[in-house]
Amino acid sequence: MIKVYGMSSPIEPTQSVGILVPLLGIAAFTIPLFSLKIRRKEFYDYYTLLFSLIAFTLTLYNTWLVWSRGKPILYAYGGWIPPLGISYEVDMFSAILGLLSALVMLLITIYSIWYTRGMDGYEWYYTLLLGLETGLLGCIYTGDVFNLFVMIEVLAISAYGLVAFYRSRIQAVEAAIKYAFIGAAATTLYFLAVVFIYASFGSLNIADIAIKSREVYRAFTNIFSDGVFGNIFVASATSIALALWAFTFKAAVFPNHFWLPDAHPEAPTPVSAALSGLVVNIGAYATIRFLYTLFGVDSILTTFGYRDFVMWVLLILGIVSGVIGALLMIIQDDVKRLLAYSTISHMGLIFMGIAIGFSNIPEYIVNIGLTATLYHIINHSIGKALLFLAVGILIWASGTRSLSRMAGIGKLYPLVTVSIVVGFLQLMGFPICGGFFSKLLLYEAYVAAGMIIPALMVVVISAISVVAYIKVIYTIWIRPPIVAYERKSGIALALAIVLFMALMCIMLGLAAPIVIQWLTDSVVSSLSKEGVENYINAFLEFYREALKHLS
Amino acid sequence: MVINVNVYLFTILILCMFVNLGISLYGILSRPSLIKKIIALTIFSDTANTFAIIIGYRSWPNPYHPLRPPVLTVIEPSRGDIEYFTLVAVDPLPQALVLTAIVIGLAIILFLVFLTLQMYRLCGTTDVRKIAKLRRW
Repeated sequence: MIKVYGMSSPIEPTQSVGILVPLLGIAAFTIPLFSLKIRRKEFYDYYTLLFSLIAFTLTLYNTWLVWSRGKPILYAYGGWIPPLGISYEVDMFSAILGLLSALVMLLITIYSIWYTRGMDGYEWYYTLLLGLETGLLGCIYTGDVFNLFVMIEVLAISAYGLVAFYRSRIQAVEAAIKYAFIGAAATTLYFLAVVFIYASFGSLNIADIAIKSREVYRAFTNIFSDGVFGNIFVASATSIALALWAFTFKAAVFPNHFWLPDAHPEAPTPVSAALSGLVVNIGAYATIRFLYTLFGVDSILTTFGYRDFVMWVLLILGIVSGVIGALLMIIQDDVKRLLAYSTISHMGLIFMGIAIGFSNIPEYIVNIGLTATLYHIINHSIGKALLFLAVGILIWASGTRSLSRMAGIGKLYPLVTVSIVVGFLQLMGFPICGGFFSKLLLYEAYVAAGMIIPALMVVVISAISVVAYIKVIYTIWIRPPIVAYERKSGIALALAIVLFMALMCIMLGLAAPIVIQWLTDSVVSSLSKEGVENYINAFLEFYREALKHLS
Repeated sequence: MVINVNVYLFTILILCMFVNLGISLYGILSRPSLIKKIIALTIFSDTANTFAIIIGYRSWPNPYHPLRPPVLTVIEPSRGDIEYFTLVAVDPLPQALVLTAIVIGLAIILFLVFLTLQMYRLCGTTDVRKIAKLRRW
């Protein structure tokens, strides 16, 4: 019974989950081979565009698949039964984040065609960009804590490379060094956390650990992973502490935020959009997976109130990074740096949303908080990517990143300015855009939970950041110009992308009731108690079917 | 008083590893030279890897009751043979994890060495304090 043969036929037709990440990885790393023979830039443009489009189609299909089946879908690599081999498990929450990542990456790829014209080294740029997308989707789809480590590293190495892309600039190389050193230390800490988890639970599969961390399901443990090494609670607590250090680093939450304002602005503009809009989400996503799916409110982590303690820590860190990001944003003159501080502030808000899962708060309120978190992640991703891309056009037109020298340039590009204004309205939470509704939902969740101070802090953080946003809008649009600029042409492609994203921001706001309803259903079906049961049951069903297949 | 040698040695080993982790983390964060930071990072990840390897041991050798090595010596092992084998054989999975982690670590260290070289070409120094001064100009 110890020996397990590869299964000859698939149990469920879910190859669309399994093929996506390896396909993108292979696509990324064949580009250097092509570069030996092919010089034409158009080839690389269309190649990357093709694979981004495939990724978007597959994530859309996966979302539809999960939605129509009403339960998570599972793919086991190499035909190994899940707790033994690597498996990818997609529930509604990861499906939505995967769809968001693929959509924004598709738009960023199209923008990159405009951005990389006349640039050297585009083949390396596209290699790393596809590598980044591989890492993003891998982190989101994986159902295995060690595979999460590998995918975080794939994501991180691509990100370090892209930050150091302009390698003749001291600032870029220095930012990349800072990012890479602390990033490597953080992911090693996460590796230690994985080791602790494996030592105590004898398994690396997320669903399997979720079963074992909950006393209720003890009867269902399987024959393959039964070893318990040392005290299970101490090991879980240590691994959570180590893993959260790594995740807050990825998400740039307060004590670990220092690398972001250096690293994000130094990257090429489309990459800044991807880093600020999507890569930071991975930290938030992994934190939610660990604190709700792996160690939920009914798990072993609630012993001695440890899970509540973790929630308090995350809540305080979220508030502090929200305030610090908003305050430091006001004094910035470099416009990309200002947007980077805005990312820190918004990640603070997102972590405040994650931290609502205290054990004394009724579950429906926790679900509202998590819905607000997911909605805010979506709003922030699209709004921040829009702002970086739109500001990138103005930076190209003016040749500077300094806000005071860019004064008045917006009048030459009215459509770009309009989309910048929409992007800022999205971030500051103006009622027509989606950002307003997600902040309102977060506020309502904390009021319903009876925690007035966090609820007020949501308002305070938004109010402080409005100052900086108004400053940018005023400078770019209204202030009289210092330098006389002339209007350049040839921005049609970039402009189309930016306008499309602005339209999406407004649509997210106008369709708020529908979107919130949909997101609430998704959160309930993947992160509530019942949702985690779904996650575990999908795994157990797969496991039993596979065993039947073997015998 | 009976001293359990195994527990004693095991505790010392684990404590040493945590001290090692602390020292190398200090090295990464506060040594000014980029080369020394890279060395500290190598020590840090190697300590984590050694830790993972130790986790894989199922049964610690005991000087009073030496174990048979985990080798199956018969062609058709009985159930008891296999049970004993699984009890004492090293868990191979942490070694697979460490193998992956080492390969990833190699990539990151190489990338960092390249960046340090590039920094040396641009600034003529690998001291982060001098680099910070140069950047302000």
